[in-house]
Order: sequence, then structure tokens, then C-alpha cells
Amino acid sequence: MHISDGVLPTAVALGTSAVSAGFLLWSLRRTPADDLPKVAVLTSAFFVASLIHLPFGPTSVHLLIPGLVGALLGPSAFLAIALGLVLQCLLFQFGGLTALGANLLLMGLPALLAGLVFYHFKGRSKKQRILVGALCGGGATIFSALLLALLLASGGEDFIGVAKLALLAHIPVVLVEAGVSAMVVSFLLKVKPELLDIPFVLKEKM
Amino acid sequence: MSGTLQVSILWLLPLLLLPLAVYSGFRMLIGIARKEQGEGERDWSVPQLEFEGGESSPVHRWDVRFKLASFLILAFVIVSLQHPQTALAALMLALLGYRLAAIPWRRGFKRLLGMAGFLSMFLLMLPLTAVRHSGDLVLVFGSIDWLGFNLRGLDLAILIILRAATVALLMEPLLATAPLPVTLAGLARMGVPRRLTELLLISHRYLYVFLHEARRMQIGMEVRGFRKSTSLATLRSVGNYVGMLFVRSFERTERVHAAMLARGYQGYWPQPISFNVMPADYLKAAALIGLGLLLVICDQFMVG
Repeated sequence: MHISDGVLPTAVALGTSAVSAGFLLWSLRRTPADDLPKVAVLTSAFFVASLIHLPFGPTSVHLLIPGLVGALLGPSAFLAIALGLVLQCLLFQFGGLTALGANLLLMGLPALLAGLVFYHFKGRSKKQRILVGALCGGGATIFSALLLALLLASGGEDFIGVAKLALLAHIPVVLVEAGVSAMVVSFLLKVKPELLDIPFVLKEKM
Repeated sequence: MSGTLQVSILWLLPLLLLPLAVYSGFRMLIGIARKEQGEGERDWSVPQLEFEGGESSPVHRWDVRFKLASFLILAFVIVSLQHPQTALAALMLALLGYRLAAIPWRRGFKRLLGMAGFLSMFLLMLPLTAVRHSGDLVLVFGSIDWLGFNLRGLDLAILIILRAATVALLMEPLLATAPLPVTLAGLARMGVPRRLTELLLISHRYLYVFLHEARRMQIGMEVRGFRKSTSLATLRSVGNYVGMLFVRSFERTERVHAAMLARGYQGYWPQPISFNVMPADYLKAAALIGLGLLLVICDQFMVG
């Protein structure tokens, strides 16, 4: 779920924009210059993956994949998510122009955290990697939903009901996200396991 | 008018029908959008950010940097409006500006559709969940005391929708009146790190490539009998599909990068785009920001 224009108080919109700009510059600096075009190309792939809708009972949910982006890109994940969200805002109006900073925080921070968790706890065995992948996928979505609810509630006490509804709406997303993340990790382990070994952009350095 | 207004419990019926009405309206809009694209398979198209060439409106002739700065300031001004009346005035002005930029209405319509799901959540929830203050007019249905339809909440939802729609309508004149590379070059001149704008351009380019690839894979899966359902099998197939998409794009990434280096890419593309500022650019910026200021002043002095 992306926050549209006109929902957040102006102070929150400006504040979150400033904070995300800081994270974005940090992420840009952590990405080796040679790898920047690669991150950009991968961003397009993540963007396309996020357009996939999965049925869940009577409704359908679309993939968010912040957990996977974090696991695959490490510190560059924030940059990739920023590019993706700017494109979504420019192309579809998913997420407003003034809420771009807020949307970036609520998708980018979970991705960074998922990347960190995956990097440290992925272990050696296949089973553990799949499990940690699922946890990262589901956990990042929960974190993102909590941030969304928090940002919505920043509008004042009137918005608490909406924030709760947004939180509830994420329950199916968390389940699907965890499942798909596990499947993608298990697929990558079979087909191209080196992608999961070290964050992609640091590959040549190590 | 304030306080609680006891109305017959029968009024609860139209309220229950409201979500249904919003839902069917939503389906109808999607139907219209689909029809416009022509029948056939699922719509995979991503709208192009291409500029609507040929037209030469005042917005088209405006220097991108001034355009970007003015629209950005205006967007923040609009989202800080506090009264539905001024927000409605802003929406009218945005419609006027849209008309002035001579952009097809269908594009703006699609943008509004993109927000419809998120905004209908506010329309449905805010009247029911807004905290009751002493000055609010609340409709209470018969003896069901806990469920009140707070008109202040409805006002708030309408205000949010008006603000969102206004900014969404500004996006088309902002983006579709210059080719994307020019807009991004303008952003770079304004202090956005040039590396970032270059990356945005690459992502935008490859988006359509991968979309095409994803579509081919999707068709392949459907040919082999794959149908989506709520099941573990679907989850596994989609997991493999997403994984394959990643593997292919990782490999393509390497090739793309090598090809770029072979053609002498050194972190930047040559930029043959030059900007020259005309007095009219300043005038247009002043007019737009002045309009924004006027809206804020009206908003401040509005009572009630």
C-alpha cells in the first residue's frame, strides 16, 4: 500500500522526505560506482516482479518483495527501492509526489533490515537459508505495515481507525510474501546460489 | 449545527450500500480503462512517460527547471490546504492547467484510478472512526449508539481526496510536456545527484524490456496449463517465476554493463541538452507560485 498525496500532515511529509534523502545518499555512497548501472537494471526487474498479482481467497495481493531486494542487494537496496518508487509514482501515481519520502522510508528501511538479517543469519544449510528467506520476506512486510500504520496515525487521532484497517489488510500480504520469498530463495539456491552468498554489489570487492 | 442527530435505523441501509457502491464504481472505472485499451489478455502495459509531442502549449515551452521547482512547491502548498473549499478551488485550477497543457484526459484519468483504492479506504473509514468532538454533527442510527456517522470525518476524507486528485492532475503537465531525459537533466541541474538521474533513466529503459520478458514467461506458463489459485502450487510456480526473472535479469545486467563500457560509458551520458532562460519562464513561475500563495491565504482566512 502506498501513501498518496494529501494524507500526511505537511510537516511529516517534509520530515520524511529529508530523512529518506539522507538514507538515499548513504545508499548511493555505499554502492560502488561501477555497480550503479547494474543496480538500475535490477531495479527494473524488481519493479516488474512487484506488478505480479497473486490470488488470496476472494481478493488478490501484489508482491512487495522488500525482503528479497534487501537480501540480494544489501546496502544498495534502499537505492533500488527509491528508483522503483519514483517510477511507480511517475508512471502510475501509486504513492504521491509529496508522500514519496514517507513511502521510501516504509519500504526502504524494512529492505535494509532484511538485508542485514539475511546476511548474518543465512547460515550454510539449504533449509536454514529458505527459512531465513521466508522470515525476511514476511518480517520486512510486517515492519513495513507497522511503519505505514504509524505514518497514517501521525495525521491525528481521527486516523487511528484507518491505520488499524491498513494493518489488518497486510495480513494476507505477509503470508504470501513469506511464501514467495521462501520459494524464490529455494529456486535461487538450485539455479544460481552465488546470488545469495554476498550482496550482489559487493561481489567484486570480496 | 452540532451534536448528535438521531435518525431512523433504516438509514443504516444506504450506509451499508456505500462500500458496495464504491466497489462497483471502482470496477466500472477499471472496465472503462480496459475497454479503452481494447479487449484481450490481461493488460500488461505500463503507461509510457513519453511526452505528448506536437503540442506547443505554454507549459511545453516552459524551462524544465522552473517547471519542476514551481510544481514541487505548488504540490506541497496544495497538500497543506486545510479546507475542502480551497482544495476544490485548487482542483479547478489544476483542471484548467491540465487543459492548458493540452494533454489527453485519459492519462490524468488513469492517475486518478491509480489512487482510487487507497483513497476509498479513507472515504469508507473516516466517517465511522473519526473521534467524536463536541462540535461534530454525528448521525446515530436508532439505538445503535456505538456506530455514528461523523460528518466531520466525511469532510476530512473529502479534503484528502481533493488534495490527492489535485496533485495527481499536476503530474501530467509536469511530466508529459518534456521528454524524460530533458526532465531528468533539469533535475540534475537543480542539485539532484547526477548519478541518481542517470540511474532513473536506465531503470525506466529496462523496465519495458523486463516487462516484455515477464510477459513471455507468463504466456509460456499459461500455455503449459498454469492457472493462479490460492494454493501452495501457485506459490511455488510464482516463486520459480520470480526467481527466474531475477536470474535472467542478473545475467542481462552483466551483459548490459559490458556493452555500456565497450561504448565508452564513464558513469555519465553525454548531455546535449542545453537550457536557456527566458523572461517568460520567470513570469510563469511567479504566476504559479503566486497562485499557490493566494490559495494559502484564502485557506488561512477561511472560517469554519
